[in-house]
Amino acid sequence: MANALQHVAWEPALIEPRPHPSLESYARRRFGMPFPSIRYFTSVPWLARAMIDLHPEYGLLMHLEQRVADLLTLIVSQENSCRFCYAAVRALLRIQGVSEARIQRMEQDLTRADLSPQTVAAIAFGRSQSRSGPPAAREAREALGRAGVGANEMKEIAYAVAMTDFTNRVYTILAVPPYQIEGMPDQLFMRLLRPLINHLVLSHHSRGRATPLERAPSYPYAHVVKLYAGSPIAPALGRTLEEMWASAHLTRRCKLLILAVVARGLACEVCALEVGKALHEEGLKEATLTEILTHLDAPELDPIERLLVPFARETIWYQPAPLQRRARALRERLSGAQLVEAIGVVSLANGFCRLGASVTEHA
Amino acid sequence: MTQPVVVGAVLVLLAVLAAALYRERRHNESLKAQLEAAAAHLQQLQEACAMLAPAGVVQRLIADGVAPGAQAAAERKVVTALFSDLVGYTAMSERLEPVVLARVLNGYFQRMSDAIHEHRGHISTFIGDGILAYFGALQPNPWQCDDAVRAALAMRASIREFNAELAREGLPPLAVGIGIHRGPGLAGMVGSRERMEYAFVGRTVNLAARVQALTRTHRVDILVTEALRAELDKRFVLTPMPAAPVKGIAEPVITYAVRERLAEPAQAAS
Repeated sequence: MANALQHVAWEPALIEPRPHPSLESYARRRFGMPFPSIRYFTSVPWLARAMIDLHPEYGLLMHLEQRVADLLTLIVSQENSCRFCYAAVRALLRIQGVSEARIQRMEQDLTRADLSPQTVAAIAFGRSQSRSGPPAAREAREALGRAGVGANEMKEIAYAVAMTDFTNRVYTILAVPPYQIEGMPDQLFMRLLRPLINHLVLSHHSRGRATPLERAPSYPYAHVVKLYAGSPIAPALGRTLEEMWASAHLTRRCKLLILAVVARGLACEVCALEVGKALHEEGLKEATLTEILTHLDAPELDPIERLLVPFARETIWYQPAPLQRRARALRERLSGAQLVEAIGVVSLANGFCRLGASVTEHA
Repeated sequence: MTQPVVVGAVLVLLAVLAAALYRERRHNESLKAQLEAAAAHLQQLQEACAMLAPAGVVQRLIADGVAPGAQAAAERKVVTALFSDLVGYTAMSERLEPVVLARVLNGYFQRMSDAIHEHRGHISTFIGDGILAYFGALQPNPWQCDDAVRAALAMRASIREFNAELAREGLPPLAVGIGIHRGPGLAGMVGSRERMEYAFVGRTVNLAARVQALTRTHRVDILVTEALRAELDKRFVLTPMPAAPVKGIAEPVITYAVRERLAEPAQAAS
């Protein structure tokens, strides 16, 4: 059956998948099944690992029900028009025995989908964050509180939404082909082997366990990581950030500028302040940063920054095909690894900025 | 005697069950086909709606379930309005056959729409041969002024290309006048119970339209207001125009003609 996003225009994949036995085996151990799409990210190992380690279903959630996290992924992917993620989570729900009719009810009319008020509020929160971002964070958080969602569960809802915003962008910008996974639920072998596949999938799902944050981070977005201290989410986020900063395909300044542009585009003053401070420490003058953030250009930018600063703003609100075409235009000017790293950084910036605004008192 | 009867009864029962299962399966397939047809129809409707209103607005209306006559949310925003008009359309419309005129107009609208969408604007409405577009109305856009002026420059370039095509067919060239202003207003669904549209209401739109009219007075194709210039990237080359009176505004309006933008990032990096 056709899903709601099958009409969304989708360009051919931006890069060729590249095998990487150790990363593929790591993914298989975590997920209990092959994860072939990881081959699109293997040129930038931190991104490939982030796509595995930040997945909420595998040992990160302590309070939020898994089923609610799945629904959030479905709805946010639909909002972001990510055909790949949307098809993947739909396939997962079908494997778990959720009927097509029930999925459609949840997508179209939550009031008819027999969901609890807390779940409806969580989904409304996901929609609001994907559509409006940080300026709507306080209102969305208050609505969750009114529905009876506790503080810890709220933080995990924010995490599930933000990480979907992150993965949606990675898959969409790289235009990872969704066709195979879209057809999967209707394939005969999937229908026949559904109980077995469901068992395999569920056997690798696990609840999170309290995990100390061993090192207090000191990089931009450290405040977000610290807010999750005690949860396994904190070390997972911290490790991803550390590995992202350590990777050398793009300069630290270039990555910070990408974060700053996304923070400005999403009107997140808390994030903008934190990233601005880090850029100042990099030696960027206040006037230059203001010029860059106001006009997405400045004579002080190097050639790669001049390409990626305006590209970063394209990823905040977008339609998939035009965004994929803009990314393809970068392909001619950047190496494959630079492009994939840029996509990883810009996607992470979108996720972190929304997460930061959701869990902190936003100015 | 009993055994054949039992076997027969079981066979009959099995046959009845098989028939019932078959009928149920057919019924399910029929329902599935109906559901798919309904989904396809809904999709067509959405695509048709997207031609009448910005896709983002249509999606919001569908997702939020705004019923006809319901009060949809409106909000105060600072938006950049771009008003564009064809110069000499009336004279051209009298000279050309209706079929040719419609083709030229559609070509013009398509090219202008592409240039506006490419720079993250959305078209609010076509007014005769005019176009009213907004930047920053649907989603927050701190770069809306630069985007609007880039869109205007792209419209200028696109008109030049289109004119080359028209010249090859022996048709007269087109010229546009574009006025751009930035300011506050009310954005949202407005209208009557029977007909609503997404609009941005306020003095900003009126002033953009008046500034567009000034392009004829100053004999230039793109004019921006002082308020817009203050927010604009200094790499846009502007020429100040003499202050001119416009209808409905007490003070003469200061405007700037847009010439070009020095070295776009993509060009500079190549």
